[in-house]
Amino acid sequence: MDFGFTPQQEALKQEVRQFIAENVTQEVIAELESAEEGGRGPNYRGLLLKAGERGWVGMSWPKEYGGQGGSRLNQYIVEEEFSRVGVSVGGAGSGAPAILAAGTEEQKRYFLPRIMRGEAVFALGFTEPQAGADLAGLQCRAVRDGDEFVVNGQKIFTTAAHYATHLYLMARTDPEVPKHKGISIFLVPMDTPGITVRPLWTIQNDPPAPIGTTYGQRRTNEVFLEDVHVPVSCMLGEENSGWYVGALGLNLDRVGASRYLLSVRRDEDIINWVKDNQFGGFSPGQDPAVRDRLAELWIEAQVCRLMTMRSMSLVERGSKFSYEGSAEKVFSPEHGVRTTETITQVLGPYAQLMNGSLGAIEDGLFAHNVMGSFQSGINHGSVQVMRDQVARRGLGMPRG
Amino acid sequence: MDVLLNEEEQMLKNLAREFLEKECPPDLARAMEADERGYPPALWRKLAELGWLGLALPETYGGQGLPLVYLGHIFEELGRAIAPVPIHSTMTAALAIARDGSEAMRREILPAVARGDMVLTWAFTEGDPRFLPQSVQLQAADRGDYFLVSGAKMFVDNFNVAQKCLVACRTAPGSSGAEGISLLLVDTQSPGISATQLSTLAKDKQFQVVFQGVRVPKSNLVGKQGQGWPVAERMLDQATALLCAQMVGATRKDAEMAIEYAKNRVAFGRPIGAFQSIQHLCADMIIWVDGGQLLTYEALWRMDQGLPASIEVSQAKAFCNDRCEAVVRSSQVIHGGIGFMVEFNLHLWFRRVSAWTMRLGTSFEHRARIANGLLDQPGHVRLGESMYQLSPSR
Repeated sequence: MDFGFTPQQEALKQEVRQFIAENVTQEVIAELESAEEGGRGPNYRGLLLKAGERGWVGMSWPKEYGGQGGSRLNQYIVEEEFSRVGVSVGGAGSGAPAILAAGTEEQKRYFLPRIMRGEAVFALGFTEPQAGADLAGLQCRAVRDGDEFVVNGQKIFTTAAHYATHLYLMARTDPEVPKHKGISIFLVPMDTPGITVRPLWTIQNDPPAPIGTTYGQRRTNEVFLEDVHVPVSCMLGEENSGWYVGALGLNLDRVGASRYLLSVRRDEDIINWVKDNQFGGFSPGQDPAVRDRLAELWIEAQVCRLMTMRSMSLVERGSKFSYEGSAEKVFSPEHGVRTTETITQVLGPYAQLMNGSLGAIEDGLFAHNVMGSFQSGINHGSVQVMRDQVARRGLGMPRG
Repeated sequence: MDVLLNEEEQMLKNLAREFLEKECPPDLARAMEADERGYPPALWRKLAELGWLGLALPETYGGQGLPLVYLGHIFEELGRAIAPVPIHSTMTAALAIARDGSEAMRREILPAVARGDMVLTWAFTEGDPRFLPQSVQLQAADRGDYFLVSGAKMFVDNFNVAQKCLVACRTAPGSSGAEGISLLLVDTQSPGISATQLSTLAKDKQFQVVFQGVRVPKSNLVGKQGQGWPVAERMLDQATALLCAQMVGATRKDAEMAIEYAKNRVAFGRPIGAFQSIQHLCADMIIWVDGGQLLTYEALWRMDQGLPASIEVSQAKAFCNDRCEAVVRSSQVIHGGIGFMVEFNLHLWFRRVSAWTMRLGTSFEHRARIANGLLDQPGHVRLGESMYQLSPSR
């Protein structure tokens, strides 16, 4: 058992911080804040290349596909630093873990270097209007026709679709078998004819959510697929194994720096804010009730951190998850909501002020957070579905 | 960074579990509630033979010099088995003596503890139950080569079977803060001592101990005269972390009993464990125990590294207080009426875990300590970074 980082890892942390201070410029920030670019414009890609030169992108991925073949924990350290400034450097959420686990040699060689350079970006095409928590009930159909599949259907909440290069598509390939067993995954270029993307605007778009807001997505999309011809070579994993390939990707996506920070950043923010500020002569940080509550939240945030470290330890050891990823995905997002709601009661009427308003605190961050914090408990498997998984997979409880 | 158990730790834990499942059934805990001593000497002897009593004591004094984390694993398993042995009070005092006692004292006490020949305890609380310097009022008047101790202590564990008791007292008349506190190792048979057993929720052995002009030689000081507060603080932090380990072990077992019960108890034509209302409660129970366990391990690990750990200890205890109580209460709820029946074993865990939440610092007290670290020190906090030296900016 070891709860510390090595001196080399501590040095890596400092090096990344220094790099960020020097390279995450106003231009990069402006790009990240733009809803249209989705934070993936030329400045972002330039930054990614520079980070890649340092060996910080795809750190734990195999060398033959352009990675560093290094430790997942080192990758976590880099990811945490970059996530804190709103920059994703590849890893969780990139689609890469699933491609590494289930992709063909050709797919790995094509996608992984491009993901690292920011040239391949996936939009997660899982959810449909009638298939959310019950994802296996999805209706989008892919029908085999020679060397191709012809896809018809609709996806919703496809957040990156307007700037992604590929759709990470889950579709039904066999309607005759039980629902989990007739699904396949395809990596479909977004410029394939028959794909239409329509924006859906979130309640965090006006005024625009500042960087680092939980959840902070200003725009998502619906995607329509009409007679989209997809070569068989775009299939990820075996035909009809898509449920299991997708579940693998999701499990790896639920853990890591970005998900952790979504849940705990506001703990730091509110504590540091009350240390530095007061209302008139009143310091909320000296109110015994506020102090007790902030300490309680801080303890929970430590649990979030330790559960993240537990997941990292499992990955690092090459062990399989039983329920640990799902457990983390219950505790952390719900903690984020508790913190957000506490902040509203610490700051009172000031917490409602949005960016641009007279008197806004931290540029409206906390007000935006009220709208977005619960999102982390919904997407990529709601906390209710996660509890099902803990109970059934982890504790062996029977199905109803 | 690897927060999972290594092979050696896992082996130790498995061995401890196997041994206790065989040698320490719940009936033993039940029997000892009515026993005058409160523990079976034969089992105590076996713990000594297994090396558990000397596990974290220095090798020079008959121990094995293993990390506190290892002792934590043993405490977790002892908690799981709700083993009725006076190990918590003994280790609390023994570890303090190992660290801050005199050479002669270590030679006299520690090998005897490791062999299973000596039970120890400690006494801190009087009227004010908080673990603060001002809570210590017991007077020890300096009489040259001895102290004359007068006053009373509460909630002293296993005083009936302990040979020695490590007592926090004031050796500087009129003092009230951290200065002027001393720790004295008192022979429990000394003239002038009387003890009254308390009737407690866990039916364990706790006492009020009254000192009436008890003579304690100066050579029995643990730490320097008048400078005992840091010694007491370290002792309390270790005791708290070990208690957390015990709570986590007992609470996990308690949750497992509820999960097992839910898989078998049929209502409305199916096992109640097939209902999501029960499943989600059980999922939360395990998540909470896991959280308490991770916090506890981190606190123990930091102590082993010689790093400051008071905030981590408080994190663990405040969380365990609230969440372990919620788990054992939920377990009672899942069991329905049967869990309320005295012949059913569940209450043996329920009453103990509940009682332990009340010992060694309430949630409010521990959170106040954390709030002080978070809010009253200069600099900004950042998760995952040292709380003991805050960075000047974010």
